[in-house]
Amino acid sequence: MSMFDTKGQAGGQNGRKPNTLKKLERLNRALSHQEPDRVPISDFFWGGFTRRWQQELGLPPDANPYYHYDLDWIVTVPNMDPWIRPFETVKETPEEVVVKTGFGSILHKHFEFPMPEMRGWETDSFEKLERAKFDDPADSRRFFAGGDNQIAGVGDGFQRNTPPWIETVKSLRPDFPVYGSIIEVSECLTRLIGQQNAMLWMAEEPERMGAIINRIGQFYFETAKAEMVAGKGLLDGFVIWGDVAYKKSTFMSPKYWREYFKPWVAKITDHAHANGLPVIYHGCGNVKAIFQDYIDMRVDAYNPLEAKAGMDVIELRRQFGHGIGFCGNSDIQVWETGDHEAIRREVLRKLNAARGGGYIFQSDHSVSSAVSGRTYDYIVKLVRDFGNYPIELGEFNERL
Amino acid sequence: MQDLKPLHNAILTGDAKTAKAITEKALADGIEPIILVQDHMMPAMAEVGRRFECNEYFVPELLLAGRAMKGALELIRPRLTASGAKPTARVAVGTVKGDLHDIGKNLVAAMLEGGGYEVIDLGVNVTPEQFVAAVKEKGAQILALSALLTTTMPAMKTTMDALQSAGVRQQVKVLVGGAPITQKYADEIGADGFSESAAGAVSAAKKALG
Repeated sequence: MSMFDTKGQAGGQNGRKPNTLKKLERLNRALSHQEPDRVPISDFFWGGFTRRWQQELGLPPDANPYYHYDLDWIVTVPNMDPWIRPFETVKETPEEVVVKTGFGSILHKHFEFPMPEMRGWETDSFEKLERAKFDDPADSRRFFAGGDNQIAGVGDGFQRNTPPWIETVKSLRPDFPVYGSIIEVSECLTRLIGQQNAMLWMAEEPERMGAIINRIGQFYFETAKAEMVAGKGLLDGFVIWGDVAYKKSTFMSPKYWREYFKPWVAKITDHAHANGLPVIYHGCGNVKAIFQDYIDMRVDAYNPLEAKAGMDVIELRRQFGHGIGFCGNSDIQVWETGDHEAIRREVLRKLNAARGGGYIFQSDHSVSSAVSGRTYDYIVKLVRDFGNYPIELGEFNERL
Repeated sequence: MQDLKPLHNAILTGDAKTAKAITEKALADGIEPIILVQDHMMPAMAEVGRRFECNEYFVPELLLAGRAMKGALELIRPRLTASGAKPTARVAVGTVKGDLHDIGKNLVAAMLEGGGYEVIDLGVNVTPEQFVAAVKEKGAQILALSALLTTTMPAMKTTMDALQSAGVRQQVKVLVGGAPITQKYADEIGADGFSESAAGAVSAAKKALG
């Protein structure tokens, strides 16, 4: 059980339910900065959370938060591995597994720990990186074949033989607004060569590394285009996954990011828009130094707006108005306390950002196993109770 | 006397090759290792930290400078040991149990080395028992605990408890840091210091030692 393994329960059903169309309208109105009937809500759930939630709420083992709460959107991931190939098992015990993936990374997944450890990389030198030749970005297996892929397979959970992306999209579509997604260069580099090497090589050889970034940027741009063709008529939007920041700032200088990373985000965004798809950019950390850039690129909404990195949706709304939508920012560390009063303050305060639309309620990253099932149940109820338009938050009303 | 300003500059710009070459020559010319470290390398890393704090430098530049410092220091360390010179303190750094992230911990290690501390890298997924052993068996005077995830940060409290139970809490200072960590959390678990960033770890260590 992991973050991206929700498969639809619609079976062979065609068409979309009236409720799904209503959710889509809700989401699209919010992203267009109009007030829908209520604030859209969704999230990304760790497998560990889902298990805990099932147990605490006495739900069956196939219960799923997206369906249980009738959440407003869901994102899907195709095979984005540079090399399409099955995982090579290096070591496997009941407690842990070590595999080499289609990114050529050696990943250690201990089933008790939330995230995997990268132990090594096939591409372990700058020269190898320069010579690396990826598989065809438009290879149909990325979208139409089942198999192992790192993004879906090794994260908070561990999954072999992920079903074909297109089948997942089709199975979810009757019940949810469905987004496709693509990683951008930073996410690829982390998996392909490790974050530390990526940073070091940017500093050592900024221009040569820039040329590599452009080559990988082109690869994922082509993959995104192929995904939009493969999912034509089936997708409702597009997510770009791209972590470029941490608690303090961007990893690399904003200047370097603007020169080499930003253009590819802009190209994917433009292409998605040309295909009628709104874009939600997911990037962790403190991105204040480059936030205006996402507005300039006409990204529709920014996710997850990590509170622990100093991002605050109310302050952002004050600063940037309705130039961009926000998706997230509800502080997971407050959720993890289980303190209903503190959670109520946190949730209701952030709902101020939904005035005039432009806000999707989510956590400030993902729902971890440290959040109790009852807490999440309480949060959904709060959002549903107080997220109806016109927004009225009583003592938590804030002027924006 | 050899002009050692280029050593400062080489570390500042992350030029490991030049930093090593100048260090080798300086040692061959009989310059005291402690002079190289205290008068040239540590000020260079302090400047790196300053630039990092005010967003003139970013993670790539910090890593590169740290590597240049480390390379030069490897040449000097045997001579420092032989001369009886003592580091500021011995620090054991590690990412806490259940957490497998290492870049933040590595940055802290680089900055502490640059600040004149002897660093023992305990790696990732470090159990409370391993931290205790670092104090008992390796003589760590400071423990620097890192965590990236909200789900793993409670292991910092577990480690504090383990230090107390093992009877070594009074002989070691504990620094904590990482994405979800705040001064409030550091205070709650009774840590001796906290830093928002890798560069701040050096002053946090100094402050904790008193």
